[in-house]
Amino acid sequence: MEGFSSVNVGLNFFKSRICCVSKMEQYDAHVTARRLELPVPGVPSGITLQVNGEECQHTAPATETLTQFLRNRLGLTGLKTGCGEGECGACTVLINDQPVNSCLVLAFQVEGRRITTIEGLENADGTLSALQQAFIDYGAVQCGYCIPGMVIASEGLLRRNSTPDDTEIRRALAGNICRCTGFLNIIKAVKSVASAGAQAVPE
Amino acid sequence: MTGLVQSATPDKIAEIVALVGGFSGNISYIAGGTDLVIALERGPRPDLIIDISRMQALNFIDADIDAVHIGAATPLSTLAEHGELAAKLPVLTQAAVQVGSVQIRNRATIGGNIASAVPGGDLLPVLKCLDCRIEVLRRDKTTITQAFDEVVTGLGKTSLGNGDLITRITIPLRFGANRISAFGKIGRRRELAIARLNLALLADYESSANHINDIRIVAGAIGPVPLRLPSVERQLRGRVVDQALADDFLQALTAAVDAAIPGRISQAYKRHAVMGLGLDLLHRLFAREFTWPGWAKS
Repeated sequence: MEGFSSVNVGLNFFKSRICCVSKMEQYDAHVTARRLELPVPGVPSGITLQVNGEECQHTAPATETLTQFLRNRLGLTGLKTGCGEGECGACTVLINDQPVNSCLVLAFQVEGRRITTIEGLENADGTLSALQQAFIDYGAVQCGYCIPGMVIASEGLLRRNSTPDDTEIRRALAGNICRCTGFLNIIKAVKSVASAGAQAVPE
Repeated sequence: MTGLVQSATPDKIAEIVALVGGFSGNISYIAGGTDLVIALERGPRPDLIIDISRMQALNFIDADIDAVHIGAATPLSTLAEHGELAAKLPVLTQAAVQVGSVQIRNRATIGGNIASAVPGGDLLPVLKCLDCRIEVLRRDKTTITQAFDEVVTGLGKTSLGNGDLITRITIPLRFGANRISAFGKIGRRRELAIARLNLALLADYESSANHINDIRIVAGAIGPVPLRLPSVERQLRGRVVDQALADDFLQALTAAVDAAIPGRISQAYKRHAVMGLGLDLLHRLFAREFTWPGWAKS
């Protein structure tokens, strides 16, 4: 009996997914067609942008968020959906090197912009960047859910200011909430990269 | 309409004018999206969303001798980092620095703060205190300039009509070399906190005589819209700055909170908290120590 009901639940879930997808496709088609009626020239029928150094193009409904766009259409699932309201920072990406909450940006707004996600930080040979490695070395990761946002927010800070002090690091990460590490090792990890000249030894 | 949403990314004001003039449905402008995107998830959707976040014509800070002009789509991070603004209007810089997080400040804009008219909006009491003028491009292609109170009319309410766009905020630079100003905020944590209470203060202060000639004080988050506090201003106007003034200032602040939110649960702490905020502002403005009323200086 129990097994039966869980199969039902599974089926319903599956049906709702199919429903979602087909609705989404209809929606897309309409939006694209209707855009042509707008009296303004240059309205995009698709979004062209640069993601982690590569040009790409996609269409999306006007109300699709950048989080949904990057995760669902481009498969960049490193960034996470947390609160969906700009409070937690799990969805942080860089737009033209500036950290933003991708849940509060609509995908069509990033036309022509440069997006950096956690997938774009690794070195050309596939090894982790110094910042990513520092998070591992300093034990800054526990469950890991907030970490892509933490790393990207830190990357945004370091691109502006290569030698931030503790206060600057804390302020830069104030928009990223972690429920398990207690933040200290995260701050140490960022600090180690920031002051790479006089590097502290991980505990 | 049908619930299908169109989008547009104009580069020029002229393109917006052409776009909204011929459009019959509901129009939303988006810049930072920090309020709009959440509203899209929850509530009725507009028929057309126009992105103004990339419009250079709406992203500027220009200071001349008697006013500062700020484009409506100027992000708060730009305000927070602008040296000349910090020198001329520290109250605005201090408010911008304290909004949200880096991620929020990189997107949220001064015009969006006005258009959303949320009670905790940190820039709102500042803009009212500074007696800003708000330039609005109306859908009928006319431009009007209105006072803060004419635009922000209630809790989340503005006088902006469908398709109307805030284009520019002009802040008069009053009181010449005597101008001092400061902002203070109480939230549940230092960063990324919605204001529970905030205060903006602008004064004409004769430093050689240690005398306040004139003053404007506005409180936020103790009502649907920012509230000017004339009863508190009266306690400070025309007086020498000393501990007696501080005592009267803090007591007047508490009385003003009592009058603004009688019987509200938050009244119990806000009537005390506002005194701490008042002390912080005095310290920030006059760079010297004041104590709580009735406390002897050690």
